[in-house]
Amino acid sequence: MATENPDRGESWYGSDEGVSQLRGAVFKWGCLSAMLFGIAMVFALLAYVALDAIRPLTADTEWLLTFFLTLVVPTGLLVGYYARRDRTAGWVGGTATALPAFSLLVGSGIALLLVEVFQPIEWFGTTLALVAVIGAIYVHRRLRPDPVAFEGAAVAVVALLLGLVGIPGAIPSLSGLLQNAPLALNRATIMLYSFAAPVGLLAGATVARRRESRRAGAIAAGLTLVLAVVAVVGAPTVGIDDYLLVVLVLSVGVPTALYAENVVRKREHLVGLALPVVVYGGVFVGATAVQAFGFAGPETWLDWQFLTNSHSRFADEAGIYPALVGSIMMMLVIVVSAFPVGVAAALYLEEYAPDTGRVGRVVNLIEMNIANLAGVPSVVYGLLGLALFIRYADMNTGSVIVGGLTVGLLILPIVIISAQEAVRAVPSSMRQASYGMGATKWQTVRTVVLPEAIPGILTGTILAFGRAIGETAPLLMIGAAAVVFNPPNAFTEKFSAMPRQIFAWSHEPAAEFRYGVLAAGVVTLLVVLLSMNAAAILIRNRYQRRS
Amino acid sequence: MSEEPARPDFAGENRTRSAKEASIKWFLFVCAALSVLVTVAIVATLLVDAIEFFTRVSPVAFYTGTNWSPKIGEEFGVLPLVTNTLAVTVLSALVAIPVGTASAAYLSEYATDRTRSVLKPALEILAGIPTVVYGFFALVYVTPALRGVGVPVGTFNLLSASIMVGVMIIPMVSSLSEDAMSAVPDSLRQGAYGLGATKYEVTTSVVIPAAVSGIFSSFILALSRAIGETMIVVVAAGMSPQLFPSAFESIQPMTSAMVQLSTSDLAGGTAAYYSLFAIGLTLFVITFSMNVASNWVASRYREEYE
Amino acid sequence: MAEKERPTFESRRKFLVGAGGVSVATLAGCIGESGGGGGDDSNEDGDGSDTTDGGEDISGDVTVTGSSTVYPVSVAMSEEFQKMHDAVDISVDPTGSGGGFENHFCPGNSDINGASRPITEAEEENCAENDVDPREFQIASDALTVVVNTEFDIESITFDELAQIWEPDGAETWSDVRDDWPDEEFELYGPASTSGTFDWFTENVVGEVGAHREDYEATEDDNNIIAGVEGSETAMGYLGFSYYQENSDRVKAVSVAEEDVSNAVEPSLENAKSGDYPMARPLFVYPDAGAIQEKTQVYEFMNFYVEQAETDIVSEIGYVPTNADLRDENLDRLEEIRNE
Repeated sequence: MATENPDRGESWYGSDEGVSQLRGAVFKWGCLSAMLFGIAMVFALLAYVALDAIRPLTADTEWLLTFFLTLVVPTGLLVGYYARRDRTAGWVGGTATALPAFSLLVGSGIALLLVEVFQPIEWFGTTLALVAVIGAIYVHRRLRPDPVAFEGAAVAVVALLLGLVGIPGAIPSLSGLLQNAPLALNRATIMLYSFAAPVGLLAGATVARRRESRRAGAIAAGLTLVLAVVAVVGAPTVGIDDYLLVVLVLSVGVPTALYAENVVRKREHLVGLALPVVVYGGVFVGATAVQAFGFAGPETWLDWQFLTNSHSRFADEAGIYPALVGSIMMMLVIVVSAFPVGVAAALYLEEYAPDTGRVGRVVNLIEMNIANLAGVPSVVYGLLGLALFIRYADMNTGSVIVGGLTVGLLILPIVIISAQEAVRAVPSSMRQASYGMGATKWQTVRTVVLPEAIPGILTGTILAFGRAIGETAPLLMIGAAAVVFNPPNAFTEKFSAMPRQIFAWSHEPAAEFRYGVLAAGVVTLLVVLLSMNAAAILIRNRYQRRS
Repeated sequence: MSEEPARPDFAGENRTRSAKEASIKWFLFVCAALSVLVTVAIVATLLVDAIEFFTRVSPVAFYTGTNWSPKIGEEFGVLPLVTNTLAVTVLSALVAIPVGTASAAYLSEYATDRTRSVLKPALEILAGIPTVVYGFFALVYVTPALRGVGVPVGTFNLLSASIMVGVMIIPMVSSLSEDAMSAVPDSLRQGAYGLGATKYEVTTSVVIPAAVSGIFSSFILALSRAIGETMIVVVAAGMSPQLFPSAFESIQPMTSAMVQLSTSDLAGGTAAYYSLFAIGLTLFVITFSMNVASNWVASRYREEYE
Repeated sequence: MAEKERPTFESRRKFLVGAGGVSVATLAGCIGESGGGGGDDSNEDGDGSDTTDGGEDISGDVTVTGSSTVYPVSVAMSEEFQKMHDAVDISVDPTGSGGGFENHFCPGNSDINGASRPITEAEEENCAENDVDPREFQIASDALTVVVNTEFDIESITFDELAQIWEPDGAETWSDVRDDWPDEEFELYGPASTSGTFDWFTENVVGEVGAHREDYEATEDDNNIIAGVEGSETAMGYLGFSYYQENSDRVKAVSVAEEDVSNAVEPSLENAKSGDYPMARPLFVYPDAGAIQEKTQVYEFMNFYVEQAETDIVSEIGYVPTNADLRDENLDRLEEIRNE
């Protein structure tokens, strides 16, 4: 049969290979273009919204040209150089450029909290009380190196309670005492003591460990303090309140300097550090030039006024400030509530939970339940928050704490699942080694597993927080306000968050709102969100390279 | 710690330690068990008020009625809302399933490490965009664009909302399907290459069939997400439930009806108000059972290949 | 925490403006050196401190919930009020009239509830159970407007004729309603059944709440009514006056009479304010009497609200302001409530 078939030889040796290659190529490129179609569509939409929000084309041609020459051209050349010669340096440069911007976002967040929520004196009292608490625990350890059961924990709890809460009606808290003490300190000094000093110590400790030199550490700490003092002295020229400038300058300067120090110390890919210099230098030169020649910039919706105003019925005056602060405060509640619980649950499920027996079945149930909770629609969580916190626990409708707890419940399963993955990724050989040295389970978890898993946990949870910051439906259900004119002063007050405000704007039929204010709000939200995602990806990349 | 003097009384220390260890273990367990409490609380919340609703409107009328108009004539037929939710789900699946599966196949079988390192984060960005922003895209850009190419859509319409829901769930399909495809043992691929199969044949005839249960489970999960999606349809799909929805006109899925009920002019304490929880319960049951189904499909798959 | 000293408005501005300077250096890639922004800010800075000094020293929270129809008025009022008293935190939330009473106002979580219809007895009882005492203030009205195509030859219409057109199983052609109208079928556009406009129209024009034909184009976006009526010569629709006002070149408004065609009145803010136009739907706010007595800020805000309800703040939104009599009556009543 075989010999009688003349075609067989051809097909056997693959004469239709050409056909199948075509089919394969069509399939491959089809797959790729389908994916690119999805991605491109969203990026086109993002470009549209950015264009609507910023309106770069309303700027003078000279303005655009100036920035093109000072910023785009040099940056492009440098990036081209990285792409051809030294890709790793490109990553270093990208990180070094993104870090200050990201730190500025975080620093502004802290500064906003200091302006709107905590008073510097409260911050000061709390910091000092915390120092006292740590001191008390330390002294206790020295005095009683052989504590009985729970003694250490009890001392810590009592010290914390006395320091931060006090005994209502009987003993005022230490931080309260400090706040009320007649200290002749102005805000700047307070922040120097309670913000610059700890940050300096931290920076010093980091450098000292890296360089294995106490002297280098001392220098780093000293430089930090000098920077803080310079910030205080220079505040009047910049025009920002001195105590806030300390926070801003340190939160931008210290992480950036630490990163740069790390690069310089290793003497690898030093050329990467040129990128931030070129980018920020270009912006500065461009801005100076534009101002000197009087070129008009774009009539952008997303300007400083937008970020600092509250809602207005006139599109030109509308802004997002109270919603921005509301979102930050809500995030704080979520971080404090969902993060510890989620990590603790993940630790139990990965480290403690037995696989078999009755408990094992319960654990299986819990795991299945968590996976299912992750798929429950957000609007249902809104109903839960409404019933649980507002109707049952009688909390204030639409207050920050209700919003934070509701959205916290929503992302709890996501936090648990991603923390579980991170904990699972810790090699079991490390655990075995720890047990081999006589450590107990908790000691192993605390000193070996957790530190190793932290980058992974952070990556997952930051992504989850990104989801949290964009959630809208639960906020509608718990009655977060569409419009507030002042940011909330306390966590029990009514608030509005960025997505809630965006949703309120989407009801405004006027084109100025639809294509202007709304677009600017969306871009603000996306900038916060994408920088969170970028931070998560950066952490993950560092982590992956290490393992 | 290392400076501690050696002590002979190990038993005492052990007791301390084991008490501490046990209490920590219990604390962690409570945190994990909290998730069960959340589920119980959700079910309890929904049930209590849904039962209140069903004492006023019979479940039969609710689940078989074909007219949803809590205002005119107080008719509570949930079917139009359900068909509209289905319409959004089906249309978005038409977008997400082909694109998501194709992306997964490309990422898992064809992409080099470098392309993957660019494309995967790009897809993750799709997943990270808040849904209210997708809704805004649908309302402000997609609908006018559709009109621009001659599709006769209204201001609020099913089509543009569904397209955006579809785009939103692409990453879900693609990342879970890619996981499933990557988990197919290499020996299967090598075997097929050994038989003279081309890369295309390996992908379509070996990898995808082998990973099919994982891929299906990702579809189910993504569709359940589409069913529960709220803000896109609230912003862009309109508020007129239609038993037989048209892609070009305003519709109203279940989630959107819930938001509307909780923020509308309806007087509280009425059947209309409690119907919010009846819809919520229905929605919860649907999505919950889809998630369970997805897990079940995925676990079958795990048994086969491990 | 509210009692503790807060940084002044001014210091916040200063920080924000200054920080703007810093971030121009860092983020200018996206923000740029927008000269306008800085200038505006410094202006506002001046405004803010001036009025802060001038205003009384009041602070605290005011929570406004309720109808989404009243929402724009409340937002505008709070925006203006806030300019004078920036230490008062006002939040405004469109929860719907009913949702506001049920979930927020009657449980005591809200100081003022807006409503596009009078409060129901059930809601009053519900509030009374929680010692919340709602008091009615009419602060504006919405002039419902009947619109037709600009080519269509009809000038006025009566309630009775409107009812014939819009009631369930109503007339099919124009000539069914009035003999000299053309023998053509209607094309009808109206608000969705969830809107307060729909409620008022069915109750006051058709004669029964919710009694409305179902074969009409129901829409949530009033622009669709305009577009639909503009596109078809035999179409008719009804909608809030503000939308008509913005689109008065695209569609034609019909004069309306309650009974006799010869008394038909053209829709306009003046006619509605004077009470001549019959299709003006009153809009209310319900403050809690207890809140007025106990919280100075609520009293001050209400005082401002009812006083300014007579001005252009309301007409700019497209609603009908109250007249001077109603304003004075409202102010007197507010005073009485406060002194109870």
